[in-house]
Amino acid sequence: MADTSIIRPPRHISRKVPKSGGPSPEQAIMLALNAAEELTDEYQGWAVDDLRDLWQKFEKLSSDRAVTKAEITEMFDIAHEIRGQGGSFGFDLISAIADSLCKFIEGRRQFNAGVLDVIKVHILAMRAVFHQQLKGDQGALSEQLTELLQALRNKVDLKTNYGS
Amino acid sequence: MSGYDFQNLRVLICDDSRQIRSLLKTFLNGFGIKNIEEAVDGDKAFHGMQQFDPDLVITDWNMPPTSGLDFIERVRMGADSPNPYVPIIMLTGYTELHRVKQARDAGVSAFLAKPLSAQSLYKRLVAVVDDNRPFIRNGKYFGPDRRTERGSDFMGGERRKRLN
Repeated sequence: MADTSIIRPPRHISRKVPKSGGPSPEQAIMLALNAAEELTDEYQGWAVDDLRDLWQKFEKLSSDRAVTKAEITEMFDIAHEIRGQGGSFGFDLISAIADSLCKFIEGRRQFNAGVLDVIKVHILAMRAVFHQQLKGDQGALSEQLTELLQALRNKVDLKTNYGS
Repeated sequence: MSGYDFQNLRVLICDDSRQIRSLLKTFLNGFGIKNIEEAVDGDKAFHGMQQFDPDLVITDWNMPPTSGLDFIERVRMGADSPNPYVPIIMLTGYTELHRVKQARDAGVSAFLAKPLSAQSLYKRLVAVVDDNRPFIRNGKYFGPDRRTERGSDFMGGERRKRLN
């Protein structure tokens, strides 16, 4: 077995951070949230671009031909990016829908008409969320939408896998 | 009541998403941190480290051409690393258990899941400042002691010997 050494870092970060003298955690978080408010408006502009990209990639897909791995990766990457950003900028529902889309397309090989419909529903749902400015948790709506998307995914997967 | 005073920290943030970098920077500014450098991929972050000498690094995982994981391994194990002990927070949407383990085995100090929130970021900053784990060096690994994740349930014997 290789020798193992235990080392104390020579200059610990705590040396530069007094544990008092700064704003309280609540104040610090409030200051951060206030500062980030302006970014939320900018984010919507960026998100529109991401959704446009996603839609363009989607429109190139077709159930009549084999979808390449690169095409799937490109779509997944955009959806994954949207998932990470939506909730970060206050659009929790966007993250939930993008998460559902990521789960649906990751590693997928078959892109039949049903699969393409499910992707389309996800993109349209995200557009609607921005259009309606549905920020925050959205409680019951979020729950219902998540369940609905999961049911759709399951239904298409069942048909795709068993042809029923 | 006052809290941690982060204002003297130098932070390097590395993410290929301009939006996430903006949000991170805005949150950190809100916490009182003004000395922030940005990088868009692992290579640029490594060069940024050499110039900027950060006290803390916050990095994304997926940033072509150099991933956050490659960047962390280079910081921890690279012969040319300017500071192999620097605390590193991995900020990512990839939160599956195997990914968390992979990041931990690369030497990450803390994991922060996207969507990003001011609350979760503040908590991670405090956790990193309070993190008193020693660093471990063996044949394949250099980084914070990983055993603490087993918590008080860890019942194994003490196999490591203190070499310095």
